[in-house]
Amino acid sequence: MKLLKIGISGVRGIVGDSITPKLVMDFAAAFGTRVHSRPVLVGRDTRISGPLLHAAGLAALLSTGCDVLDLGICPTPILQYMVTRLKAGGGMSITAGHNDIQWNALSFINQDGMTLNPFQGAEVLDIYHLGKFKKVSTDRLGRIRDVALYADEYFDGLRAFLDAEAIGKARLKVVIDACNGAGAPFLKPMARALGFELIPVNHEPNGFFPHDPEPRPRNAQQVVAIIKAVGADVGFLLNSDVSRVSCVTETGESLSEEFTFPLVAGQYLEDHCGPVVTNLSTSRMIEDVARGRNCPLVRTKVGQSYAVHALLQEDAVLAGEGSGGVALAAFQPAFDSFATMGYILQTMAIRGRTISRLAGELPRYHIVKEKIPCPPSRVHSVVSEVKKFFRRHEIDESDGIRVEDKSGWVQVRTSGTEPMIRIIAEDRVKSKARKRADEVIDFINVSIQ
Amino acid sequence: MKKISSLKISISGVRGIIGDSLTPQLAGALSQAFGTYVGGGPVIVGRDARPSGPMLLQAVIAGLLSSGCQPIDVGICPIPSFLFLAKEAKSSGGISVTASHNPKEWNGLKFISRDGLYLTPHQMEEFLDIYHQGDFTYAPPDRLKALRAESQPVEPHLKKLLGYFNADLIRRRKFKVALDCGNGAGAILAPRFLQELGCETVVINAVPDGSFAHGGRGPGLYPGVHFRRTRPLIQATGEWRAEGSSLDQSEPLPENIKEICRTVVKSRADVGFVQDADADRLAIVNDKGRPLGEELTLALAAQYMLGKKKGSVVCNLSTTRAIDDIAAARKAPVFRTKIGEINVVEKVLTAEPAAVIAGEGNGGVILPGVHPCRDSFAGMGLILEYLAASGRTISALQKRVPRYVMIKDKIEGSAEQGYRLVGLLKKRYEGEGRISLLDGLKIDFPDHWIHVRPSNTEPIIRVISEARTESAAKAAIRRLKKEIEELKNQI
Repeated sequence: MKLLKIGISGVRGIVGDSITPKLVMDFAAAFGTRVHSRPVLVGRDTRISGPLLHAAGLAALLSTGCDVLDLGICPTPILQYMVTRLKAGGGMSITAGHNDIQWNALSFINQDGMTLNPFQGAEVLDIYHLGKFKKVSTDRLGRIRDVALYADEYFDGLRAFLDAEAIGKARLKVVIDACNGAGAPFLKPMARALGFELIPVNHEPNGFFPHDPEPRPRNAQQVVAIIKAVGADVGFLLNSDVSRVSCVTETGESLSEEFTFPLVAGQYLEDHCGPVVTNLSTSRMIEDVARGRNCPLVRTKVGQSYAVHALLQEDAVLAGEGSGGVALAAFQPAFDSFATMGYILQTMAIRGRTISRLAGELPRYHIVKEKIPCPPSRVHSVVSEVKKFFRRHEIDESDGIRVEDKSGWVQVRTSGTEPMIRIIAEDRVKSKARKRADEVIDFINVSIQ
Repeated sequence: MKKISSLKISISGVRGIIGDSLTPQLAGALSQAFGTYVGGGPVIVGRDARPSGPMLLQAVIAGLLSSGCQPIDVGICPIPSFLFLAKEAKSSGGISVTASHNPKEWNGLKFISRDGLYLTPHQMEEFLDIYHQGDFTYAPPDRLKALRAESQPVEPHLKKLLGYFNADLIRRRKFKVALDCGNGAGAILAPRFLQELGCETVVINAVPDGSFAHGGRGPGLYPGVHFRRTRPLIQATGEWRAEGSSLDQSEPLPENIKEICRTVVKSRADVGFVQDADADRLAIVNDKGRPLGEELTLALAAQYMLGKKKGSVVCNLSTTRAIDDIAAARKAPVFRTKIGEINVVEKVLTAEPAAVIAGEGNGGVILPGVHPCRDSFAGMGLILEYLAASGRTISALQKRVPRYVMIKDKIEGSAEQGYRLVGLLKKRYEGEGRISLLDGLKIDFPDHWIHVRPSNTEPIIRVISEARTESAAKAAIRRLKKEIEELKNQI
């Protein structure tokens, strides 16, 4: 079975299996055709397969007449920021985010520095399926250009957005685990720009992931182990392209990735009041936080594209997901973990509170996330079957199956990246959350067989 | 007449037109097939100075990486240095992104074996089978290799050259050399090589951004890219003198040779050298500022090498008869091969007695003692050593080469028509001379020869003659073309 996922803003698969030079070239050529030979920024995370996809993507973009502004190893949010700064036609980020080393992906960015919206994504896909790529003659071929000092430009921007003076004065000691991903070379520039003391972990951009590049408690052992020893104020875990982050408190508690978004929102919505966007799988914590600040909440399907485009459409101020991706509209409409970390540090500095105290202010829910492997040919029908299980309930079908009541909810959806069915359940009471999930899991296991 | 296809996938490599037939997808698939064929390991990759080179090179790198090979990127590199490196670095092979003398909208891929030689026709067949079958190796992520850049790709070649020639002898003469690199890859090594040989060198057209490069995207956007009008002297088929050419200097000179000739005169150089774009061929300008003609490069090299070492000469059917005369005077055998560098090289590898010198009349000198490939640097070294050892001027040495006049002409016609024409002409000339059907039709007469050969790359049939005088050569061509005219309705 080949694992290949074509989403609205890109294509993801296993290298050497579904991700081949031909597939990468065809998708990059389709994207180059769509941007009409305008310059395209290209960056990648540190995966071993990065140079392969990079070379294939470059060749195809150049062949459609796009100049390539090559950022080399670059976190996706920085690439997104630079797309607008350099007035490029778009961007292509080569990263599989939180997926393990087998995977890689192309993620396409539009000229506004946002992941493609569903309509733009459909255009690229149509061109890809049609196979009619723009081909230019020798004189019109694109050229490869390096972009100098772009990290400085990005962190100058971030510095101006945040209250760097306050952060500096607080003399914070911060542990960051970059998982040897694209964030690794940018930790020091960030610490310099914002004036905190950095204790970097796994900060070699060599693509050897010491643990899954997914920011969540089970991957936090190293950070937890050193945070108390060095007396740091906070710890952060990043995914491979710095679009997701989770936090570890000064007491060594690894917070669920669900905390990141409400941690930011708690203060951010005080400063910028407006609608908040999240997806249907995210914890109710954010509902309580938004309600407390009189901000309406909009729920979308899972995925950065849906979140940031709802951000734009609803004129919202903040978007985020329970997976640890947060977009601060006042900075840029992208899941940006540098901005997220910076904002959390600023909150700690200005309010003079520890991270454990800030987390303690949030309502506690218990969330259970499970996944069941399922052949891609069957995932959708199996999810659809679940409707029978909930025949007595009101079902929200915006993204999979979601059923909600006063004390909690459960959602069943197909994974956007893997041949899996995801089950997420939440409740104020831990055992109830577990029960909500287990009931559905039992039903699904029966229907798969 | 049938139009020539814009894509040629053949046993001599792949060539196509950018923006049309030669896509990154195709280059990537071919490279992945090559990586599958060589079975992994390091593969040297490089390119000539064409503007489409960077694009195709990326596709080649992607294809090789995907097959589990480790591409070693040498960037723009002279072909002989590239080939030598492929052998010395114990690589699995190499891919060169080049279309040698084709116009700039073309580009192509040349495939190189672990021995640092172009794939032989048999090897190409095997490799192309894999490409056509489409059964490629896809390395899983944990088997992928890292791309490596080689910043000093010419070093092993330079070291070999300096060790091969009598550098002290050459250095003592303190030659003054005028050098035209044609803005090709040769500029990376040639000035340094000559400097190491103690020559005072005046270099022109030494920016290896290629005579092809141009900056049509507005000023300032791409610094360092300039439009260069100087083109290489040597064109593989001698198009610029399709009317006929000769070993002496009676023909008018094209603009781009005048520059090096003037430079030789102005700087009072002992000799002028001209390299083609990928630095495998060499033309010579004498101390009087007159170009020698391409055929003389190999003739002079053979004259020197055969005087120094015992052995044979290998060259193709269309190379000047002066080679036979030079070899006969030293009782050295001459082996003639089909046209195409690889055919000459294959014979060099098996010739008995061993070849001491080989090459083609287009300025491609092969010095087997260095590496069995066309090598303009080896050619320069030989000429300089010849000058130093003989103590004579290049114009004096030139006079010792038997004088012949060669006329290269062509007529329109497909390969198929050329094939039939060869059969008919053979009957016409039956019994008149020594006939060879090795490559087209070549007939040796006591005082001249003629050669008729369909082109591999264009819909033309090449007709060539050579004789002691221009009038005799022209007469031979006139007769040949008249015969062809009479046979026209039969082909």
